[in-house]
Amino acid sequence: MNQLIAAVLVLMLGAALCLLPVSNTVRAGCGLASQGLATALVWLAVAPVLLGAPELFIEMPWGYPMGSLRFRLDALGAFFLSWSLPMTLLGAVYAMGYLRKYFDGPRHVGVHFALLNMISLSFILVYTGEHAVTFLLGWEVAALSAWLLVIWDYTNQKVRFAGFNYLVSTHIGLIFLMAALMILYTQTQSWFLDDYGDWLSQHPGTVRNVVFLLLVTSFGLKSAFFPFHSWLPRAHAAAPAHVSALMSGVIHKAGLYALLHSLMLSGRPDAWMGWFLIAFSVTSAVVGGLYTVGQRDLKRLLGYSSTENVGIAGIGFGVGCLGLSWDNPALVALGFGGGLLHVLNHAFFKCQLFYAAGCVYQVKHVVDIERLGGLFKLMPITAMCFLVGGVAISALPPFNGFASEFLIYSGLFTGDAGNIWAKLAFILAATALAFVGAVSALSITRAFGVIFLGSARDDSLPAGHEPSGWMLVPLGIHTAGTVVLGLFPTLGFALVAAPTALFLHAVPDAFAAEAMQGLAAALSRLGAISATVAVLIALVWWLATRMQKQPPRHNATWGCGYGAPTPRMQYTGSSFSSDFAKPFKGILVLLKRHKAPAGYFPSDSYVITDCVDAVERRLYNVIGHGDESASEISRLIHEDDPRLAFAIGLAAIMTIAALVLLAEGALP
Amino acid sequence: MMLLTLAHMLAVLLMPFVLVGLVNRTKSWWAGRKGPRIWQSFYDLRRLLFKRPVVSQVASPLFRVGAYVVLVCGLAAASMVPLLGQFAPLQFSQDFIVVAYTLGLARIMLMISAMDVGSAFEGMGAAREAAFSSYAEPALFLLIGSASAATGMSSFADLIGHLHNTHFYGPIVVPLVLALLILLQTEAARVPVDDPLTHLELTMIHEVMILDHSGPELAAMQYAAGLKMTLYAGLIAALLNPIDPLVAPLPAIGMSLAIMALVALVVGCVESLMARLPMRWVPRYVLLASAAALIAMLVVGMGVSKP
Repeated sequence: MNQLIAAVLVLMLGAALCLLPVSNTVRAGCGLASQGLATALVWLAVAPVLLGAPELFIEMPWGYPMGSLRFRLDALGAFFLSWSLPMTLLGAVYAMGYLRKYFDGPRHVGVHFALLNMISLSFILVYTGEHAVTFLLGWEVAALSAWLLVIWDYTNQKVRFAGFNYLVSTHIGLIFLMAALMILYTQTQSWFLDDYGDWLSQHPGTVRNVVFLLLVTSFGLKSAFFPFHSWLPRAHAAAPAHVSALMSGVIHKAGLYALLHSLMLSGRPDAWMGWFLIAFSVTSAVVGGLYTVGQRDLKRLLGYSSTENVGIAGIGFGVGCLGLSWDNPALVALGFGGGLLHVLNHAFFKCQLFYAAGCVYQVKHVVDIERLGGLFKLMPITAMCFLVGGVAISALPPFNGFASEFLIYSGLFTGDAGNIWAKLAFILAATALAFVGAVSALSITRAFGVIFLGSARDDSLPAGHEPSGWMLVPLGIHTAGTVVLGLFPTLGFALVAAPTALFLHAVPDAFAAEAMQGLAAALSRLGAISATVAVLIALVWWLATRMQKQPPRHNATWGCGYGAPTPRMQYTGSSFSSDFAKPFKGILVLLKRHKAPAGYFPSDSYVITDCVDAVERRLYNVIGHGDESASEISRLIHEDDPRLAFAIGLAAIMTIAALVLLAEGALP
Repeated sequence: MMLLTLAHMLAVLLMPFVLVGLVNRTKSWWAGRKGPRIWQSFYDLRRLLFKRPVVSQVASPLFRVGAYVVLVCGLAAASMVPLLGQFAPLQFSQDFIVVAYTLGLARIMLMISAMDVGSAFEGMGAAREAAFSSYAEPALFLLIGSASAATGMSSFADLIGHLHNTHFYGPIVVPLVLALLILLQTEAARVPVDDPLTHLELTMIHEVMILDHSGPELAAMQYAAGLKMTLYAGLIAALLNPIDPLVAPLPAIGMSLAIMALVALVVGCVESLMARLPMRWVPRYVLLASAAALIAMLVVGMGVSKP
């Protein structure tokens, strides 16, 4: 525990040093050094807990009204800390390259690095805080730092709008969280999360159900589940690439942590909670996946795929929840183990994809896929890293996404539910997951094919080459992680074993051990298959090149006999998705402006398509209608009417009286 | 066991040629021609293997690697798919997920190879492949799901091969075979989803994606396409085969091969007697497979829940 406190102090000191009046390079160096030191300290504390040592606990006396502060590092928090801090460090390294051009200018880059330190600090607070106030403090530090990081390019009005959108959404989530905590406080008169847990596990019923729904809403907003995702595409498109990467891959996993933590504390869940989580997550996964199909902006596309992937992890958690309520240890292990592994895997490949997108932006200054093309030849390393990440995000072997989705599928197919309809519902969820996998393969092929393959579509963009090593190294490390966790998923299992076992604490040891062994066996088998497929591909390719006596000849692409093709004639991203998107008009709202060619000698003509967020559009429509009807009502009311004043006064008195009476009844 | 493994491997290696040959022979019979030899596609591939490939100037190194990934993934999936009744050389619980996703890797590399040459035609083919396969994927999972709910088994070979021992076999075999047949037509690019003989780039799906492939890469792609047809035909055979290969290996092998040949004849007859569907109807046709599998699933649900 001392290491964690030292890490907090180091991060705060580092943040302060970042603000010193020295050169930008020194400030950034201070940020990096403190992040590195804090990461090492955190790992010293976390590693033993992950490997099976008992949890760490500390209680510190504190002033009124906090009482005393409690911090507890259990295996779940240790799992999240074990990758959150190193990945934030990698994000800071990436920022050294991404923000390089500002280092010699008048801009104070130190603030950015100080904020990255605050993000790391918030992880320690959220993942270990046992006191509701320190938890909320960490939650808020993360939200505000992320907001300030998003609006790095604040001179652009669109970026400011995206930032405020995010800020408002995250605080709406906070209101739900506060409501849940207030209900729990009135019931327990305590600030400690474990007391809330004790109360919740002993009092199943309406209050617990309400608290569950409030918490799921709040954490769903944090992790951008559908339909609470509307802030996400804007924020991810506006932020610098490393900030998008950290938000999507690391920061918003806090929502999933909090969900898991509350599930773990609140004892045996009701079956409806598991079904609710599965339905909520399947919807997120399907709709998030569908949204990725239509996007023109690569970073928006990747943002929506976060909604899809938290949904996939959420399906696992729902399965685990049902396992808990049905006393089925195999289901608990597969559900929570698969979900946690997917959280880890997603952190690896999502940051990787965003970093690759950042490399593209750094070179071309756009991420509009319709204007790019043929980047493979300019930047092969970035392209290969993007492809590996794309194959992983479509959950295809031999990379890591496959291992975690396999576990979740296994949970859905082994659904030993007793009731046949429950089993069939699981199969339907698995079918939805299969659809999501195919859809994400479609959108990744589309993004990779249009951006990196073919030839360049727009000559006006700068030529460029691979970006600096500061950006390629974090990208490479993430890619290596994706590959290694795919070929050796037992390594990932080593990380998720301890937190998964936490959910099995109520189960007799023998059954728990058996369930965990089943998990380990499935993963090692998958690793063997993935590795075999990878080796076979390499072998066949090697043989094919050895057998080839003459090098291939090069010639023009087949153009149906047409002799003067131009790069503008390539298939575009919009045309790629239009076949698929037609049946999903309700979700994939496609705005289209066009001027058709007319006459014998047509002059200028164009088509502009844009895929907008259906939820956001609806939201603003409703707010617009609400605004109109409010002004309509206020026009009808005559304020000088004494009867109205009396009526309002009476209503106010009655409300207060009712509240007092209800409060009387609620006191213990 | 050794015999079955050997027979499975031989079937995987040879049946793609035989089935393609049978389909072509059936079509020429309907057209009143003598038609090519059964082994013609084998000779074609052998010829391609020794040709010097021509590669587009636009293509990246992925273009050529892609063909071999498609080939290896097809073969890897084939080791887990039951072709000879209730048997596959590699069996473990939930192996069908590995099959579906290995074929998914093959598909994504096929589409990426197509996008790699920067041609509008090949992009169109890739887009269609991506769209139709995402309609087809749920059907496969529904089908496997209803078979696993009916048998309570967890590996692909068991849940397909044991189905005829359950009392659901009668009512659900028809929808399942129908679903598999539609999946075969979709995944192996046959009429009415796709026409392998069309000569108009605008109406192709699979053929247009490999327009720029030549030499050994084209051979790999062609073979992988035949292999996919073999896998689905083999699934139908395993579903219909009443003989347990672990008890009576030789009759079971013979029976399965005969059913696969029959499936090829059916595919050939369909191709001869009807035209390709208009492109906008194809999604509905593919969804028919999901609907059939869903019916099978509901039948299983009602059958089990009834005391």
